[in-house]
Amino acid sequence: MNFVAYLVPALFLSLFAYAALRRVKLYDTFLDGVKEALPLVVRIFPYLAVIFLLTALFERSGLAHMLTEALAPFFRLCGIPPEIAALVLIKPFSGSGSTAVLSDLLATYGPDSYIARCASVAYGSSETVFYLSAVYFAGKKKKLLRPVLIALCANFLGVVFGCFLCRFL
Amino acid sequence: MLLAGGLFLLGDPEGFLAAMLEGGQKAAVLSLSLLSLYCVWLGFFRVLEASGLARKLTAFSAPILKRLFRSEDEEALSHAGNNLTANLLGLPGAPTPEGIAAVDRFLAEGNDFAADLLFVLGATSLQLLPTTVISLRLAAGSSAPSDIFLPTLLATAASSLLGVLFVFLARKLLRKRAVP
Repeated sequence: MNFVAYLVPALFLSLFAYAALRRVKLYDTFLDGVKEALPLVVRIFPYLAVIFLLTALFERSGLAHMLTEALAPFFRLCGIPPEIAALVLIKPFSGSGSTAVLSDLLATYGPDSYIARCASVAYGSSETVFYLSAVYFAGKKKKLLRPVLIALCANFLGVVFGCFLCRFL
Repeated sequence: MLLAGGLFLLGDPEGFLAAMLEGGQKAAVLSLSLLSLYCVWLGFFRVLEASGLARKLTAFSAPILKRLFRSEDEEALSHAGNNLTANLLGLPGAPTPEGIAAVDRFLAEGNDFAADLLFVLGATSLQLLPTTVISLRLAAGSSAPSDIFLPTLLATAASSLLGVLFVFLARKLLRKRAVP
């Protein structure tokens, strides 16, 4: 059932066996890699923190709810059930937030209903765009608007297509 | 931010700081779990490099990656390749450090296009098997938890292809404007 569960130990085992055969100093090499972990997290932390502060404000102020209500007719027009609008809106901001919304939808409508299937596809076919842009481009002098807009558009169209597919598949 | 602040002033002035602190706390907790994930995967990828296996894998995929990203930087392409593979397999936390390393090198050689492309590929989700969704559906008592596999795969393929198309189009438009 869980393919990743077997994949990860298999990957590590085969790599370490191969590296040992090639006489790589396993302990020292692995340690060298781990040394980079803390600086990396320190580097991306400020960007993560700001994204999370803004996301919390967006959700807690009721702004997210208002936006969901306002966009419901537009979502219906695109063939996305308005019940999953909140999920589609939260997903770019927050992975844990959208996981909670998906669990709610599965429980409320039953996991095999059309709405829950659409929600599952919407969740699985998109990513946390704002979080990723903060992490990938942390500390870079770069205009982020273009790649972020492109990713958001592509994800939204993917969700529209996914909801359309859920009617047949 | 301003809109949210205004809404808090009208309704729940005490909730403003509470919401921001909650966000900060989430960021702190997430950073710690990212730290543990990065320890594991940065160690893993360092061994992959030292064993010479990374170079072999890159030699295999380099021709495709070179054309896709329009880059000659072997090391950047190797990181990008690792990032894409980890994304496809859905290894939690593994794509990010490799993606950051690749974006760093792409931007250092002034290749904004490659950085955008790698970001858009990651941000439109490449995961072949939506494991989180399947386990959530299983937990909710679904009779066919992996039923959504095919539509998800098609939808995510569509969004990634569209994303790549948009990045290429944006590059073309910018070029036209630069050379009038």
